[in-house]
Amino acid sequence: MILKALDSMGSMHGYGIARRIEQISEDVLKLNEGTVYASLLRLGQKTWISWEWGVSENNRKAKFYSITKAGRKQLARETEDWERISGVVTRMLRFARPQ
Amino acid sequence: MNREKEFDDELETHLSLLIEKFTRQGMTPEDAFHAARRQFGGITQVKQQRRDSTGFTQFGIFANDVGHAIRMLWKAPGFTVMAVAALTLGIGVNIAIFSVINAVILRPLKAPDAERIVRFLNTNSYGSSPIASFPQFNAWSRQTTLFEDVSAHRIDTVNLTGGLYPEQVPLARVSAKFFRLFGAPVALGRTFNPDEDVPAGAKVVVLSYELWARRFGRDPKVLGTSLVLGSEPHTVIGVLGPGFDTEQFDPLPEAWVPFQIDPHTNERGSFCAVSGRLKPGVTLATANAELRSIANEYRRTLLSPNPRATFTVQPVRDAMVSEVRPALLLLAAAVGLVLVIACANVANLMLARATGRKREIAIRAAVGASRGRILRQLLTEGLVLSLVGGALGLAVGMFGIRGLLAVHIPRIGENGAGVNLDGRVMAFTVLISLATGILFGLVPALQASRTDLTDTLKETSSRSGSGLHQTRARALFVMSEMALALVLLVGAALLIRTYTALRAVNPGFETSNVLATQMSLTATRFEKTAAMGQLVRDGVERLRALPGVTAASSACCIPLETVWQLPFFIGGRPQNGSGPPFAGWTFIAPEYFDTFKIPVVRGRAFLESDRAGAPAVVIINQAMAQRFWPQGDPLSDRLIIGRGIRPEYERDGPRQIVGIVGDVRDTGLSSRPRPAMYVPIAQLPDDVNVINLRLLPIAWFVRVRSEHPSTRSSIESELREASGGLPVTRIRSMEEVEGQSTARSRFEMTLMTIFGCSAVLLAAIGIYGLMAFAVEQRTQEIGIRLALGAGPSAVRNMVIRQAMRLALAGVAAGITAAFGLTRLLSSFLFEVRPRDPVVFIASPILLVVIALLAAWVPARRATRVDPVNALRWE
Repeated sequence: MILKALDSMGSMHGYGIARRIEQISEDVLKLNEGTVYASLLRLGQKTWISWEWGVSENNRKAKFYSITKAGRKQLARETEDWERISGVVTRMLRFARPQ
Repeated sequence: MNREKEFDDELETHLSLLIEKFTRQGMTPEDAFHAARRQFGGITQVKQQRRDSTGFTQFGIFANDVGHAIRMLWKAPGFTVMAVAALTLGIGVNIAIFSVINAVILRPLKAPDAERIVRFLNTNSYGSSPIASFPQFNAWSRQTTLFEDVSAHRIDTVNLTGGLYPEQVPLARVSAKFFRLFGAPVALGRTFNPDEDVPAGAKVVVLSYELWARRFGRDPKVLGTSLVLGSEPHTVIGVLGPGFDTEQFDPLPEAWVPFQIDPHTNERGSFCAVSGRLKPGVTLATANAELRSIANEYRRTLLSPNPRATFTVQPVRDAMVSEVRPALLLLAAAVGLVLVIACANVANLMLARATGRKREIAIRAAVGASRGRILRQLLTEGLVLSLVGGALGLAVGMFGIRGLLAVHIPRIGENGAGVNLDGRVMAFTVLISLATGILFGLVPALQASRTDLTDTLKETSSRSGSGLHQTRARALFVMSEMALALVLLVGAALLIRTYTALRAVNPGFETSNVLATQMSLTATRFEKTAAMGQLVRDGVERLRALPGVTAASSACCIPLETVWQLPFFIGGRPQNGSGPPFAGWTFIAPEYFDTFKIPVVRGRAFLESDRAGAPAVVIINQAMAQRFWPQGDPLSDRLIIGRGIRPEYERDGPRQIVGIVGDVRDTGLSSRPRPAMYVPIAQLPDDVNVINLRLLPIAWFVRVRSEHPSTRSSIESELREASGGLPVTRIRSMEEVEGQSTARSRFEMTLMTIFGCSAVLLAAIGIYGLMAFAVEQRTQEIGIRLALGAGPSAVRNMVIRQAMRLALAGVAAGITAAFGLTRLLSSFLFEVRPRDPVVFIASPILLVVIALLAAWVPARRATRVDPVNALRWE
């Protein structure tokens, strides 16, 4: 999800990512925003994202994360996986419907 | 910048942005703050997650484990001391041997591109020799596509005269490229120019740093002065730096002069060693392949006699140590076995301990430790033990071995001073400690971590006995220990028998009460036979006049150290096809046989009347008489000696055999006496005398009734006076010479014995530990047996029987292994067969007796079990 956010929005800091997730999940997915950082660390270790220092809207120092090439590849893979799985789920739902 | 701080800042920014957002939505600052904290979730958790992800926590856990391990070991001092002692022994002997191997085999030469420097060898089906002739050197120097800086060297002993005192110095004759080949640092002046390294070139000398410091007080004005070396003045042109790696030479040269080999010479009687550097891109294999055809070519042009001989090259470091390498590898294998035994021992101790710790481990597992986590904890304990053992082993091994190194091994320096703690030894210590820790720690850890929680926790601690599986593992360990210990014991016993056999050998001459010293006559006025004959007569007379001296003599060489071999023809006999036979050749002064108490079996010894001009005579030994005159009488024949080997010997006419003397093992105590010829010093042709004196200083021998404190110094001063001021080497007793000739064998025997004893000790501890533990575990059972009427002896025998079953099985396996393995020892043995029945009967008996003793103590303890107490145990 973070990858997707970074992919569509470009470079963003942690707060921005949290806002973006909030926005696209339409508040259905309510999570502790701190967990965003755990994910960012993990993605950083896998070199799917990179970061650089910048200045936030309220003039504080902030890390701006952006997706890397490896990250885009991973995103493509995951999206494909996701579509396949959700495809299966939809089919199952369709089969289930007649009951 | 601090990562922790950075991350805090980042979270801080996030929170402040949230607060701002909430404030904009109309909250009070305080509400906004709390709402932001709520929405963000646990800050500490996020921070902890970040720390975990960096890997430092792994280190934290490791540090924790180490701390815990140290506490656990501290609480079990008996176990810890036993384990550390076994490991110190096991690792210590390995470090001892490794540090020697490191110094001798692994340590690179201190020369540029040292790995590419090779020594040229003459190789035939019997082996290789670095001794080369001048035409060979010239042939190799021409192979410029394969090698560069090909250079010859030879070390002679010459007298350095003039100045305060005369002394004998080892003098290296080297060709001009030598210094470049070995990267000699020049402290002062220069080394030779190529135009000085030509026949009859300038007499120049380069000093070693040591000689410069000792004799000239590091005076830079020494350059250009003249130094009298073997009566010839040489101009000093340079001084080498102190760091020059001269360990490849024996003895270490103190002065260097140009070899001045004629590039077109055909003379094959002079010798040198030849080294060179492989050209970039040339491998050892290609060089050796090319040399084979070069050898063929060489044989064709120079009509060399031996068609099977060829040339090879070997890295110079390997060539230097090739003689001791097998012994070192043998010792390395032995210490490897000791270490395996030590590992088995400690593994056994840990298994025993793990049984006692079952509850502790089960509780850890119950409160959530994963199996991997427990495994790690137990392995850490093992590693702590092995690292402590390794550190102690380093101290014991490195410094222990130095005490045993009074033996001649190339590159180890005086009394092992070259065996040093360096990076490789450190790395070896750490690696062997870690490997050991894992080796002995893994099996017990795997077993202990495989605990069935509920069962263990339900059991009471006293009854949590050893499962079948565990006892079997322990029994197997003890059995292998016994087997390996037996292999080592057999090896040690074979070497002990070898050494005693060597010392019991009758060398054919009496070494006691004989003193020996050497004097270099190279390029002195004594090179002419007449002058040398006069010197020897005069010197011997002076020596014999000393109080307590019963006989004195002189000869070309010291028995057991150097022997010349020359070809000979028997007058009137037809030559057979395979070339003339060789025999030992020693020139001696008349009283030689009296001095060494070598019996004259037939005929006579030499007399003063056997001088130049008198009929030429020779004396042979019994071995020669038996071999070449199985029927006839040697005393009626004449010998022609040295013909064909070099022109100098052509003038030595036929010699009448006038006597037969007893055989002498002068080439080494372990080799059979070979045919030998003795000729009087006074009858040597002048030219023969010159070449022999160039190659070797002459030896003086004195037989004393008993040695006085002043004997040695008076020998020295008498000889100096007789020779007009020539120095002699340190006076040694012939017993010392004999001791030095067997020092290698003694070294091997001593080390193998130490290793064998260590192994037996460890195995005994192993069997004791197992039985003591078994008795403790079976206290209840034994109590019941005793209560039901079993006698103490029945109980004792039961325990001993169990121990002996293991010991005998181990010994049987050990005998089988040793039977196969001792063959590898055969080249180290003397007058003992690898499957010597005495050794193969005595060693197992010894080991079984020791095992019996080790089992006796726990067996006795078993008989003292009080049935009442035992049944009340719980």
